[in-house]
Amino acid sequence: MFNAEFKNLNEILDMGGHGIYVWSVYLVGISIIVISFLIAKKRIKTVQRKIKFKNASS
Amino acid sequence: MLMLGWIWGLLFAPQDAVQGNSYRIIFFHVPSVIFAELIYFFMAVCALMHIVWRVKLAAYLIKSAAPIGAMITFIGLFSGSIWGIPTWGTWWQWDARITSTLILFIMYLGVLTLHGSFSNLEKADRLMSILVIIGVVNIPIIKKSVDWWSTLHQPASISVSGSSSIDPSMLYPLLISIIGLGFMLISLGILSSRSYILSREKNKKWVLEHV
Repeated sequence: MFNAEFKNLNEILDMGGHGIYVWSVYLVGISIIVISFLIAKKRIKTVQRKIKFKNASS
Repeated sequence: MLMLGWIWGLLFAPQDAVQGNSYRIIFFHVPSVIFAELIYFFMAVCALMHIVWRVKLAAYLIKSAAPIGAMITFIGLFSGSIWGIPTWGTWWQWDARITSTLILFIMYLGVLTLHGSFSNLEKADRLMSILVIIGVVNIPIIKKSVDWWSTLHQPASISVSGSSSIDPSMLYPLLISIIGLGFMLISLGILSSRSYILSREKNKKWVLEHV
């Protein structure tokens, strides 16, 4: 069950001709998730900054 | 955990006898579409709570979950389309499973658009909840589409109640990927709802004390 299916990096990237499909899915999917996390973190900081500014001015 | 599932699935799980290595997309595609449906179901439960008991937090959670649902549904559709090219010879087919999943994606966008089109946020919350409840009818349609209609999309490979049709060497990394993606989406949901709750309640005393 834990035998490596590929012998080297070229085989991993190529995946018997299917590498372009497999890796493009993972690349696009992971990028979208990472961007979502970055946006969510930025929104929290923006909201906190606005509230702090409001707190300080009142 | 997600990385463990993906590394296991991508590098150690055996090649599929029919599909070759293209089947390795399953470790991203199946978890994505499972959560695409689960997030909508969660939103429907929240919508019911908002309409029946007027729970404000439930509406906030719907608004926070909808972009995540849209994002993961898009990944499900995208990964399915790419998988379709080497497997079916086409990236798109108007079959019941794919079309109903596209409708789910449109529902997520519709929920967000509807909420964004009202300046009265309480009214927007109510109408958004009603739309979410109407749209929940699509969830059993997606689930049963491969049984009710003759579709290009294959029937479910894994089942909660019955036996799964895939080998354990592929099933275990798939289950780990599902759990891993679940945790990742929950943490994204916590971040997203935190910022939205703060922005909606920004004039309240507890928020001013909290930040």
